[in-house]
Amino acid sequence: MSTAMAPVSKTHCDNVLRPGNTNCAGCGMSLGLHWLDEALSEERPFMVIPACCGIVTAGAFPTTAYGVPTAASTFASSPAVATGISQILRMNGEENPVICWAGDGGTYDIGIATLSAAAERNEDMIYVCYDNEIYGNTGGQRSSATPEGVRTSTSPRGKVEQKKDMMGIMAAHRIPYAATLSLAHRDDFLRKVRIARETKGFRFLLMLSPCPTGWKSEPAEGIDLIRTAVGCGLFPLYEVYEGLRYRINARPDGTPLESYISRQKRYTAAKVDPQLIRNFISEQWRYLDAMARAFPAD
Amino acid sequence: MMEMILYGRGGQGGVTLAKLIATAYFLRGQQVQAFGVYAAERSGAPVQAFVRIDSQEITNHNQIREPDHVVVLDRTLIAPRITTGLKTDGWIVLNTPDHPEQYAEQFAGRRLATIDATGIAVANGLGTKAVPIVNTTLLGAVARVLGLEWADVTGALAELEFGGGNITAAKQAYEQVLMQQLAGSLVFSTATGPAAGSAVAGLFDEVVGSQPRIHTGDWANRAPQRRQLTPPCNQGCPAGNDVRTFVEQVSREDADAALATLLETSPFPGVCGRVCPAPCMSACNRHEYDEALNIREIERYAADHGRRPEPLRPIRPQRVAVVGSGPAGLSATYHLARLGYPVTLIEAGQELGGVLRTGIPTYRLPREVLDSEIHYIIAHGVQVQKGVRIKREGLLGLSREYAAVFVATGLQETRALNLGNLHADMVMEGLDFLDQARRHEIFLQDRRVVVIGGGNTAMDAARSALRLGARHVQVIYRRTRAEMPAIAEEIEEAIEEGIELSELVAPLQLQNNGDGTVLTCQRMRLGEPDESGRPRPVADTCEDAIFDVPCDLVLLALGQSPDLSILPEGSEITENGQLLGLAAAPIFAGGDLATNEGTVTAAIGNGRRAALHIHLTLTGEDLFPPEPEPTAQPAQITMHLFKHALREKSAAVAPATRRRTFVEVRQGYVDEPGHHPAVTEAQRCFSCGVCNNCDTCLTYCPEGILQRRGDRDYRFDYDFCKGCGICATQCPRGVIYMAEL
Amino acid sequence: MGRELVTGNYAAGYTLALAGEANRSGRGCGAGAYPITPQTEIVEYLRGFEFTKGAVVPVESEHSAMGVCIGAALAGARSFTASSSNGLAYMTENVFAAGYYRLPIVMIAVNRTLGPPWNIWVDQGDSLALRDAAWLQFYTESHQELVDTILLAFRVGEDPRVLLPVMVAEDGFVTSHTQMIVDLPEQELVDRYLPPCRVPHQLTHARPTTVGGLTWPKETTHHRHEIQEAMERVPEVLAEAINEFEQVFGRRPHGALSAEYTDDAQTVLIACNTMTRTLRRVVEERRARGEKIGLIMQKMFRPFPRQELLRAVTQAQRVGVLDRNYSPGSGGIMWTEIAATLQHRPDILVQDYLVGLGGGDVTPQDISAIVDELQSRQTAGDPVWKEVAA
Repeated sequence: MSTAMAPVSKTHCDNVLRPGNTNCAGCGMSLGLHWLDEALSEERPFMVIPACCGIVTAGAFPTTAYGVPTAASTFASSPAVATGISQILRMNGEENPVICWAGDGGTYDIGIATLSAAAERNEDMIYVCYDNEIYGNTGGQRSSATPEGVRTSTSPRGKVEQKKDMMGIMAAHRIPYAATLSLAHRDDFLRKVRIARETKGFRFLLMLSPCPTGWKSEPAEGIDLIRTAVGCGLFPLYEVYEGLRYRINARPDGTPLESYISRQKRYTAAKVDPQLIRNFISEQWRYLDAMARAFPAD
Repeated sequence: MMEMILYGRGGQGGVTLAKLIATAYFLRGQQVQAFGVYAAERSGAPVQAFVRIDSQEITNHNQIREPDHVVVLDRTLIAPRITTGLKTDGWIVLNTPDHPEQYAEQFAGRRLATIDATGIAVANGLGTKAVPIVNTTLLGAVARVLGLEWADVTGALAELEFGGGNITAAKQAYEQVLMQQLAGSLVFSTATGPAAGSAVAGLFDEVVGSQPRIHTGDWANRAPQRRQLTPPCNQGCPAGNDVRTFVEQVSREDADAALATLLETSPFPGVCGRVCPAPCMSACNRHEYDEALNIREIERYAADHGRRPEPLRPIRPQRVAVVGSGPAGLSATYHLARLGYPVTLIEAGQELGGVLRTGIPTYRLPREVLDSEIHYIIAHGVQVQKGVRIKREGLLGLSREYAAVFVATGLQETRALNLGNLHADMVMEGLDFLDQARRHEIFLQDRRVVVIGGGNTAMDAARSALRLGARHVQVIYRRTRAEMPAIAEEIEEAIEEGIELSELVAPLQLQNNGDGTVLTCQRMRLGEPDESGRPRPVADTCEDAIFDVPCDLVLLALGQSPDLSILPEGSEITENGQLLGLAAAPIFAGGDLATNEGTVTAAIGNGRRAALHIHLTLTGEDLFPPEPEPTAQPAQITMHLFKHALREKSAAVAPATRRRTFVEVRQGYVDEPGHHPAVTEAQRCFSCGVCNNCDTCLTYCPEGILQRRGDRDYRFDYDFCKGCGICATQCPRGVIYMAEL
Repeated sequence: MGRELVTGNYAAGYTLALAGEANRSGRGCGAGAYPITPQTEIVEYLRGFEFTKGAVVPVESEHSAMGVCIGAALAGARSFTASSSNGLAYMTENVFAAGYYRLPIVMIAVNRTLGPPWNIWVDQGDSLALRDAAWLQFYTESHQELVDTILLAFRVGEDPRVLLPVMVAEDGFVTSHTQMIVDLPEQELVDRYLPPCRVPHQLTHARPTTVGGLTWPKETTHHRHEIQEAMERVPEVLAEAINEFEQVFGRRPHGALSAEYTDDAQTVLIACNTMTRTLRRVVEERRARGEKIGLIMQKMFRPFPRQELLRAVTQAQRVGVLDRNYSPGSGGIMWTEIAATLQHRPDILVQDYLVGLGGGDVTPQDISAIVDELQSRQTAGDPVWKEVAA
């Protein structure tokens, strides 16, 4: 199909993510990168991306789909490499955000030691985990972010274990700021990235990222799925300041859980018992509510 | 050895198809090999897979360059280069709904097979809409083309544990594949795949970091397109107002623009903003979500707060006469004048406005509002003749004097009701009563009033009676409140003011019962629907079905009908509201006289269409609006994207205060510091089927390939659109849809 | 500083700090620091040093230590670290990354036996296992050689003709924990010797690139060949660096290898690190007895100095290789490389001796016995396992 538009080469070259990237159609990460870009505005970041779909999307050398300087780090290293970059930038008076952009594999699993250490040192960086709850880059294996019951190629009978509470882990590091991001709640998303941008030290953002390929769902429905995940309480939107002060941004609004799981074959094919998920949701909220009551941010 | 190349897209299952084909031969005892080319590209990216079949052990591990056959898994990949290296008698198997003949030119001299594998896969629920998985379907087609048995297909599917829809799909393809030897001589393609031979860049070269060269738009099998639908409010407005637009303008705090929009179609936004039954609000899709928009109050706000443009002056030579200054006549006058015609407006009475003035009490429509809107019409260079009653002869005279005459004398005949011979002086026509009431010629101290009817006139009469001092006012209606034609709010307000509403009651006769005059009534119940679609009231037979209502005055509000004696003989009045022209003379009839639609807003629309019709007749220029687009249905609105919000409250005088005065009851949306209820209310609008620059599509496009250049001017960069469809699912108002490529 | 009595680790840490400080006029320096015996004192020294413009980050692992170095170098800084043994093994992924990124990081590898079972003593198998990581590798026989080679390493690795990371190895304990007198350079001289570090592919918004993304086979071949070309330029660059070193510091460190008494030597022994010094004592003693024997101190292992080696064995009939390392299933790692180089000299008998594995104390008597064995040979054979006393 022809296009009436001017070539994108000029107009898009400074975008964090350029057109021509090789992410799947409907990939949540792509939208997350655009919103990140928008929230950062004039503050151009340095990106560090470990082995994951996020770096594969850059495409083949010598071209790149990233319009900002980007280091493709080894899988477990992004916070370490970002530490080096951040330390050197700051000692040279350069305040550009240094952003790690990693999947749940790099965050919850292989990279967690490096992540924990950088958080403990309170390195000046923003760590964004685009969590699609699966090893998407290798074609869909379980991670410790995969929810209980979900079928993947390495949990063919449904995952037995619960999803790891990464926010809890990061809050326990008492980092200045941790927050969850929804791709269906743009204002909240942008606000949190801006708070992260204005905060010094280690900032952790956890974004639930629809993966049509891994979730076996319609690409067009990804954003709706995220909206539903928030609405039914499965993915809570909240912030933790200094690891100790909690603010809940959106409570479950009565959206039925079924409208989330029924549209993803990773759930339906495994015939997940919705009660398992409901229990998870209610426990999660019992914990969050208790924390928010005991340690309110406001 | 037989070698095949499969051209597909990531996620379609090309490698699995290779394995399926190989498995079919493996089960027949052949040596086989199947493999894909693995790279970094994702779901949707062009990929290749290879199959080798031989009776000997296969030791060749190179990619296939001179295939015996090729299979194309995706229609968008059909291009000359798929024949590169293809042997002359090789089959081309295409996934396409097209007939092989359609490729007669492109693949002349080739053996070609086609199958709509995508359609079959989607129908069998394989994959997603964006990436249907077509491998098992194509296995059926390929097996047939290669001369395999159906049992080979089922064997391969079973071996790889495919069941259900996969088997059905393969079977359909096995049976439906079309195979043909295309005529003509072979054309050899030398095209190669990815651009080869470009210089290899070093790690430190200048070119490092340049733009990607992949046009990911090629991956898409669907593309977003934009359309405009008719909002149901616009569809529902008899006056033809562009409701959605003026609401949007108010939402942007631009009352001037909103008023200008309204004045395009109606001279009476102030009137309609107060007394319109507002079918737009009944049609409003937001009703399906929480509560319909209060469009009437928004219209009133625009009328009361916007500045009117300077009136236009006549510029055309043809003079037009308008007979009757009711809403239809005034609307026609206004639109004719705006079109540049010098208009003479002829009114039998001493005041302009017709039923707007005589039939609507001032507590609903203050005189200043009406006067001001009429004044604005007349200011368009209109000549007014008052006290001139035109009959049939006079009309014919006018038709000779003027280029065209528009007759809109409204409904002059009232419907009678026989309540017996007694006390005929106690029965009064509602409209007469209202006219006298507004001229303060009647007072009802301590009198008991019964109003018969369920329309706005009944409500107006009842509430006016209350204001004139009546002790008790009772409205009796044959059906229930739900069927009453009166505006719901009017009924609500009447009851608030203390008017008694008796549903399912029909009057029989007036008589004396010793204590005084009573209206004997009959209880009714609802029966089967009549021709109007409303349930037919039928007499109830219960024990106390007949009862008396004491009363001193009966007001009849049973509706009116037109007096057609003004029109020349042979005139035909159609009933569906279509404008009438008379062949012999340039006489046009309109308004309730012609249509009996009975609402101000219908009369306004009718007057406007009359003006356009007259203009068409006089100039040949067709200014009628184009046929509307389909109406936006509730299912096309992504309602869950909107925050629930009930209507903004508008101001009103308290019932206890207002029930004894003719002060305007409703005060509309009143701006306060920091609170603009009209704007807030207007912002509730879904803007059904019409882009309002909300940018939601831009916001959610994961590729960032949407741009807005100006007002409602969005451009998709199809070079890079992967066709995910998120813009379409996220468009709140049904403007974007996905078209198959 | 002048002449000081210090350990090898102190000398290494001190020199790294000087090199880092020398880049204060540039973009500063960055290091990831993680301890492991016998390297620990180096990162302790670095953590204690107060850089004008530098950051030494106390990370949680060797893997991250190299990660920080990579990040610092990508941000344009001079970068360095140190490790040993299993630390190097754990770091390996990022060691390769640094090489293929072409970042001029300098790392001190304090050689220690790889485990388990655990053994903290010297064995060069840890750093030699990283020979394919696209790093330059130097092996140092003394404290002074260590100090001087660290400075050469920055100079050569950062040279735009090279742009590769450099590993400088020293023997665990024998060098690292042994107090020796060393001429430690002054900051001012180091400033003169090391110009500000410039990383051409430093991340910058002036020209955004994605460093370390994806490549196709054709590009990969091309980039590997670029590395080979850079490696081939090392002798020339190293020679310049040594000449200038002499001008600045007044002494002349060894080059790729040091060939001693080889002009007429029929028997030549090759060793690296401190074992060379023991070997030299044996050779000199035997030459005093009139034997035509020489030695080669193998200082540079990557790039492998083939031409220098061939020149050094002109008269040789027998070459013995002393490998304090072992590649299971093959033999000594230096031996395989040397034997491959000497394929052009089929007249030479090349014999491998695995000696001092796991840190055994290799005495002159041990080496002398090896020389005797070598000289008694008619043909070369499988590597000889030489047991030592402790």
